[in-house]
Amino acid sequence: MRVRLPGLYIALGVVLAGLIHVVAVLTLPMLAPRDAQARLAALGPANTMIQLPAPAPGRQVMPLMAPDVRYAVCRYDLSKGPIRLKARIADDLWVIAFYTPLGENYYAVVGADMKQPDLDLIVATKDQDVAEVGVDSPEAFDNVVVVTSPVKEGIALIRAPLSGPSRSAEAERALKSAYCGPHDNPS
Amino acid sequence: MPVTGTTTRSSLWREEGSTSMRALGYFIGTFAVALILGIGSAWYMIERGSPLTTASFGPWQSWLSEGNPNADPYTRAHLARSGRLPLTSTVARYFMAHTDSLGRTLSSGCEYSIVGAPLNARWWSLAVYDTYGSLIANPSNRYSFNSEEAIRRTDGSFHITLSRYARPENWLPEGRGPDRNLVLVLRIYGARDTDISGIGQIPLERLPKIERVRCE
Repeated sequence: MRVRLPGLYIALGVVLAGLIHVVAVLTLPMLAPRDAQARLAALGPANTMIQLPAPAPGRQVMPLMAPDVRYAVCRYDLSKGPIRLKARIADDLWVIAFYTPLGENYYAVVGADMKQPDLDLIVATKDQDVAEVGVDSPEAFDNVVVVTSPVKEGIALIRAPLSGPSRSAEAERALKSAYCGPHDNPS
Repeated sequence: MPVTGTTTRSSLWREEGSTSMRALGYFIGTFAVALILGIGSAWYMIERGSPLTTASFGPWQSWLSEGNPNADPYTRAHLARSGRLPLTSTVARYFMAHTDSLGRTLSSGCEYSIVGAPLNARWWSLAVYDTYGSLIANPSNRYSFNSEEAIRRTDGSFHITLSRYARPENWLPEGRGPDRNLVLVLRIYGARDTDISGIGQIPLERLPKIERVRCE
């Protein structure tokens, strides 16, 4: 009896430690103090394209941002209907990536894969019927890509890596023309 | 409970009274140890990664399914805690180093020589941060070198010196002020070699070597 007792406690300890481990791993994402969504929400309203300041000390929206990439972000909210995202891809290096609030990248467009520089996307949830609410002429529809968002609220992030030492102003200008907003009146 | 009924040799415990008190003590002890082990191991596997979730080569570490919607719970927790929005491995690869090639923690009190072979990718960038992931202020406003800026040698290799003070060739400043630990991030966009699932393949032996030159 006396010999088996510590063994019992060790077994109990291991099982408990395992359970606590699993609970901690599963709850941590929800307890994360400042996830990307919270950081970006502080910048401005949803369904608007917002250019992020060029990453520099004290001016970083998210940790580990690339100092030689220029970013523009649209925090989208599909509760009032689909949204539209338009951009002229100025460089092969550009990446337009779509995220859930937890940072899962569910869709991405790479500049080098584009056949033409004008990107026209409609972001909608699975149960929003895009053909009905939206695009009137079938030929215009050909160039429009519908992105099905797994979440009502998410993030679209455009990255413009600088392809040369003095390309910063050029990339910022190109990002400025990107549009994100209500899907029926794109500017 | 099997504990009740056992006799105890300790006079201390006998004075306290019952063996059930002792059982309670053991139980609380077991629970405390389990709490430390459970949370400690979770924290370690989320913060530092494990062979399940990361690929390592020398000082470089890369989370394999970071940003992927089908990622494992460790990677998801790591990502949520980081506050970042990384690209998945089919678009870009990220490699992080907290140490030099000999495993010594990177510190702004030391000078490092970073030598890299040409990388078969559309674009890459090597940047230095503090351990909070913030860029470090320096008079020349230089925080990174990318494939378009870095001066190459005739064989296509590049040589970056990470130092407090100005150095020839490619000087990546560590910033002034008290010593702090550093993190290097190598991001590689559009790797030209991909596997069947489209994941960018970077030959690990081509990742830069980080050699400590001297410390102050």
